[in-house]
Amino acid sequence: MTTQDRNMSQIIEPSKTTSNLLGILLRTKLFWGLAALYLVGILSSPLTSAGRNIFLSYGNTTDVLRQVSVTGIVAIGMTLVILIAGIDLSVGSLLALGSVTCAMLLTKEGWTAATYFGIPATGLVVLLSSLFVMNFIGKAAGLIGQRSDNTSAKSADMAFRSVFMLGAVVVALLAMVWAASQVDTKFGVLAVLLVVPCIGAVMGALNGTLIVAGKLQPFIVTLAMMVGVLGLARVIAGQDTAVYPVYTGTNATINFENLRILLWGVIPVPVLFFLGVLIVFQFVTRMTTFGGYLRAIGGNEEASRLAGINVGRIKIITYAISGYLAALASVLYVAQFRQGKPDAGVGLELDAIAAVVIGGTSLMGGKGSVIGTLVGVLIFGFLGNILQLNNIDSNTQLILKGVIIILAVLVQEGQLQSFFAGLKFKGSLGKRRP
Amino acid sequence: MTTRREFAKQFIGIAATAVAITTISSSVSQAEDKKYKIGFSQVTTVEPWRVQFNKDLRAEADKHPNVELIVADAGDRTEKQVADVENFIAQQVDALLISPKESAGLTGVVEKATAAGIPVFVLDRNVDTDKFVQWVGGNNVLIGEAAGKYILETLGGKGKAKGNIVEIYGGLGIKATFERSDPVHAALAGEAGVKFLLDKQSADWKQDKAYDIMATALRNHEDITLVYGHNDPMAYGAYLAAKDAGREKSIIFVGVDGLPDEGVKWVHDGVLAATFLYPTPGAEGLRQALKHLAGEKVEKSVVLGTEPITKANADEILKRNGLM
Repeated sequence: MTTQDRNMSQIIEPSKTTSNLLGILLRTKLFWGLAALYLVGILSSPLTSAGRNIFLSYGNTTDVLRQVSVTGIVAIGMTLVILIAGIDLSVGSLLALGSVTCAMLLTKEGWTAATYFGIPATGLVVLLSSLFVMNFIGKAAGLIGQRSDNTSAKSADMAFRSVFMLGAVVVALLAMVWAASQVDTKFGVLAVLLVVPCIGAVMGALNGTLIVAGKLQPFIVTLAMMVGVLGLARVIAGQDTAVYPVYTGTNATINFENLRILLWGVIPVPVLFFLGVLIVFQFVTRMTTFGGYLRAIGGNEEASRLAGINVGRIKIITYAISGYLAALASVLYVAQFRQGKPDAGVGLELDAIAAVVIGGTSLMGGKGSVIGTLVGVLIFGFLGNILQLNNIDSNTQLILKGVIIILAVLVQEGQLQSFFAGLKFKGSLGKRRP
Repeated sequence: MTTRREFAKQFIGIAATAVAITTISSSVSQAEDKKYKIGFSQVTTVEPWRVQFNKDLRAEADKHPNVELIVADAGDRTEKQVADVENFIAQQVDALLISPKESAGLTGVVEKATAAGIPVFVLDRNVDTDKFVQWVGGNNVLIGEAAGKYILETLGGKGKAKGNIVEIYGGLGIKATFERSDPVHAALAGEAGVKFLLDKQSADWKQDKAYDIMATALRNHEDITLVYGHNDPMAYGAYLAAKDAGREKSIIFVGVDGLPDEGVKWVHDGVLAATFLYPTPGAEGLRQALKHLAGEKVEKSVVLGTEPITKANADEILKRNGLM
């Protein structure tokens, strides 16, 4: 083959290497978008008096990471929900509910609405999740779930099941007793980290149950929940309280400070939580059957059902996870901003959905990744930071954010060229496009 | 005869007086006993200032056993507030207190209540009509002027003021924001040594957003002298960011609102250097309404003054509110 031939063949049919390179570039275009934004940040950044680039400074980077952690944790839960072609509009209200209960548990002694609600919720969630874990271990160890006609094997199976059931009840009771033991004093850090996310999980499971049992649209169920939970947060807070301030060391335990410090002077604790949640759910969505089920359900729910997947259960668990993560994020919110209040999470659901979609997860379900959501969250975080460093006023910031969302989604969906083509040659080219 | 006639005269006189006295006293006791049903349409109850507003109003209502106060919360939505007021009109309340979300959307329903013969008292934000009995509210321009004077003096006084100011705006679409901001800029206009570092950065009155704005400002500016937050939670949020950056000691924080359990407490704790009271019209509004119902003449508008709160008077205010 002559050089000319090769060139010709490349023009007619791109060689394998270029298509691979192109493929990699296309698949990672989101990361390139983030990199480009980062470059804009470096180039536009003001300098310190010593001439150092502020955007690149370590402190600025940890600021951004800390700022995105709360939204990021919520967005990971949202990713799972959107993977099954659902939506969860209630996360903002769940964060508000979580922040109110968290602040009340930390600052109020004795039985309050927060403890009456939180401790039973903890019992329920711990009971179900420990049952789940024990069944999993039992099956893995071959103790239960073996099909057999043998009567003795059947009764052994039954015996193991009842032991597990009993074990789960004991664990749940222990968790409740431990939480209840903190009521007379105020709650400690570990206790709020246990109780508050469980409240979110219960409300999330309620979302899922309504969607599954009532065969309702997720949009409307979670919209109703968004309104209802906001009311619940306000009822729990009480009529005469708009804000519960948390002054660590005076009205709350000083240890609560640990949830927002810069650990070893290197990494903010909220970022550790975010990364932890990220790694766990990257693993869950990529490496487990549960993750496979999520994609399957999002891809084709009916086929998944016919294939024997318990679609209802998976959905309820997914919404429970989303609720759990929203409430977990609320604990970090309280730690960061030293307050719990019913209007804490206003608009959070939209930020989370935007980050997920920018991250390449399809609103139609079945397609997407947790890592993509990380990139989406970072694009938002760095964009806000760059605008703030360059002292762009708040209204202009909102406009630019809107523009970036549209651009990012166009790039992500690979529609940018056809979008511009459509703008320029509408009509003349319209026929050629499918 | 004369004595008898005189006696009769006296008797009639006494009887007449007695009747008169009984009539008067009975009419007085009737006024005392008359129950007033007073409707209050509050725009929202999730902001701390509004909560204080309701507290003040309820506390005043408790002092008058003849007042039955009904509070409706509009959830920060104009259409809900219109419905709430229409509901009060249908209930034929004796007086209507309203703290409107905005003027345009609520002017109509205020006029409707007045047309229905209900005396209307507008509290805090105003409406675009004069078909109400009275407006009671604070004056943000006065607050802005007081804050401007304080900041000018703190930074060194007229002609000598020096310093870099971070101003954290409330809401950019809201009049109160600029009434709290413009007089401060006017007070510092001629000062060559004073610089405003940020360009209209709004934290939407929220502590958490102010924290993030301040965190970035601290990275961006090595020398910040003073932070002026358009309300106390934003000034406090900025303080928390400075504290996390280890720079809170070198910065002066000034807020507005002066709620006992927020601004005043923070001044007492040495977090804020000063805050400026934006009084709630809750108590005064109800007092004025009762005056009107008792037949007294009331002014068309009552402006509540402001008061600078510093270390000097914070303790006294906390004690007055039972917080110390």
